[in-house]
Amino acid sequence: MDLRRHPLPLRPSPPALMGRVHGGGGAPGVPMGPAIGACLPGGRLPLGVLHALEPAPGAEVQHGAVVAGFAARVLARIAGTWLWVAAKGDLHAPGLVACGLDPARLVLAAARDDAAVLAAMETALRGGAFAAVVGEAGRLSRLAARRLQLACLRHGCTGLLLHRWPYGRPAQTKVAQAEEASSRGQSGEQSSAVTRWRIGAVASGDIFAPPRWRLELLHARGGVPGEWIVEAGERDAPDLVCVVAELADPAAAPQRRRLG
Amino acid sequence: MWLPNWPILRLHRSGAASADQPAATVLTERGQRRLACVCPLAAAAGLRVGQALAEARALVPELDVHEATPEEDAAALARLAEWATRFTPLAAADPPEGLWLDIAGCGHLYGGEAALCATIARRLGETGFLARLAVADASGAAWALARYVGGQTRVLLAGEERAALEALPIGLLRLDDRSVAALRRVGIRSIGALARLPRAEVAARFGPLPGLRLEQALGAAEEPIAWPMPTPPWEETQRFAEPIAAPEDLARTLALLAEALGRRLEGQALGARRFVARFLRVDGAVPMIGIATARPVREAGYVLKLLAAKLETVDPGFGVEAVALEAQALGPLAAAQAEMGGRADAGADLAATLDALIARLGEEAIWRPTALGSHVPERAVGRAPPLTSVGWPAQLPDRPLRLFTPPEPIEATAAVPDDPPLFFRWRGRLHRVRTAAGPERIAAEWWRRSPDASRPAHDFIRDYYRVEDQQGGRFWVFRVGLVGVPRWFVHGVFG
Repeated sequence: MDLRRHPLPLRPSPPALMGRVHGGGGAPGVPMGPAIGACLPGGRLPLGVLHALEPAPGAEVQHGAVVAGFAARVLARIAGTWLWVAAKGDLHAPGLVACGLDPARLVLAAARDDAAVLAAMETALRGGAFAAVVGEAGRLSRLAARRLQLACLRHGCTGLLLHRWPYGRPAQTKVAQAEEASSRGQSGEQSSAVTRWRIGAVASGDIFAPPRWRLELLHARGGVPGEWIVEAGERDAPDLVCVVAELADPAAAPQRRRLG
Repeated sequence: MWLPNWPILRLHRSGAASADQPAATVLTERGQRRLACVCPLAAAAGLRVGQALAEARALVPELDVHEATPEEDAAALARLAEWATRFTPLAAADPPEGLWLDIAGCGHLYGGEAALCATIARRLGETGFLARLAVADASGAAWALARYVGGQTRVLLAGEERAALEALPIGLLRLDDRSVAALRRVGIRSIGALARLPRAEVAARFGPLPGLRLEQALGAAEEPIAWPMPTPPWEETQRFAEPIAAPEDLARTLALLAEALGRRLEGQALGARRFVARFLRVDGAVPMIGIATARPVREAGYVLKLLAAKLETVDPGFGVEAVALEAQALGPLAAAQAEMGGRADAGADLAATLDALIARLGEEAIWRPTALGSHVPERAVGRAPPLTSVGWPAQLPDRPLRLFTPPEPIEATAAVPDDPPLFFRWRGRLHRVRTAAGPERIAAEWWRRSPDASRPAHDFIRDYYRVEDQQGGRFWVFRVGLVGVPRWFVHGVFG
């Protein structure tokens, strides 16, 4: 192939991305509500691209349950069959039902390590048969992220990358390492994933209420970053999350930062 | 087992020769037409094997002469050996006129070894074949006794070989004609006479064969019999005159084998879910690569694509002598027809993607979760093959998104024994519980393990609580031990 005449679309240009979101052969995105939608290109979480989800510092970086909950709720709003690749097999399928996801449409895959997870993700994305592919991996090279994003764009498949650090060794040092890595901001894949989120749990005060998260949009191509306290949407609600309105404390209230 | 005059018997059976006319087969040997096999009628008229055809014609003008077909006779004998596998799994052809049957442990099915022999002889007789059988521990003894003229079915017990063979002529030892003639010349006519001679002198004078055959007849030496092993039916093999080592050559060979195997499978409307390629190296090592697919396939290009990814792991060493490709786990696969427009259906897409993943991760690494209907969390989920359709209930009790196996012990403090914990320490962090729900009591399935002294009944009962800590983390903790000091565990985390 003559690369000069057919340049590889390594990175979707914003107009192309907007075209994907607003029709013109693209799939609709996942609605996130008006407040968050204002920060996203096209007002929704776009499909057919790569998203990176990372946990907020704390114990969360090890078990990654909140990030998995967010990903499961995204999957539940995408039609088709999904694949979930992880090196650690602690995902509990009955727990997905509470997120509104039908485990019958989910295929699970176990990989040896992070590299195998990424390779399997790419294989699945290139196959074009899955509507969405979720992968749990600790670190991601710039090249691997590029390849994943390219595979997503080529085959119209949504990729969700869950950052997660292994545990089993002394917890203190691992957590410290993970926090450090998390605070560094993972600038490596900033340019590849279309959106990058950091999600942490926030106390809701009521165990029967939907879980409450601090949702940070660290990076959105064609959008602007933002930070909100949200509550997971109900199972049949159209929106993935709803912003909690009654935050009285101005220090804890979501702050919109215009960095774009 | 001896089938005297096997080529003639075949002629009789096929109707080419009639049983009441002297018949013989002839073979052209060094430009001379010589008799290769004579029927009993012809033998009675004075004909013998090796006689020139012209001489035989002069002696018996009405002789029915047929061309000898040694290859076909051998093939028919092999088929007969296959037929004989209904009596014993080990049956081999013993060309030109015999069969080896290893009936160790098979006799009791027919009421004894003699009865088994009678059954075989009767069944063969019904189809027109005359068979003589003998049973012995030693292969040579059985061979000689089966062919001993005038003999009937003999069953020798262990240790009787010497006595039974004592008077038998030396010609029954499976020696070549020259050895027999040489032995006769010095006056050794019976097996017993040969057995009495010093072994070293016999070997020095007549070569190693008489001694070996004698030992095989007396049961002192084992005889290697090439029992035909059933070849895997769905296998294609390519052997090379010269060992090959280049990866491109191996790939091309695999392509040929895959195509041949695919054609065979297509003829039977079958596909296979597993393909194994074996590379027989000159040094005896057999590196193998295998692929598995989510549903039966047979298309050569598809199989090859999956195999090619693994071909680089094959070390050809000093060269590969033969390559074999075997199809396993066969399943029905109807002839495929590309859809109009050339687009395959979505199911085929999914199967192809799954196959690529299976090739990368392994067959066991891809599954679909199934609900097993057990209330014990560890046993609530099963694994199904990825292409099966599974059903999940729309509503389930609240379960965590991450489940730890085994549950992780924590230090927890509760106000009263029946309450959820006030705070707990897990993985070096202190979690203060702000809100909790529960308990949900889950007992182990009593039919799986009964309580004993080491684990009393209350040890199988868990009280689960859903708790939320100050940071908003939601955990599934449980307490074991209704009696005595309670132990606390974290079993999972909610999303």
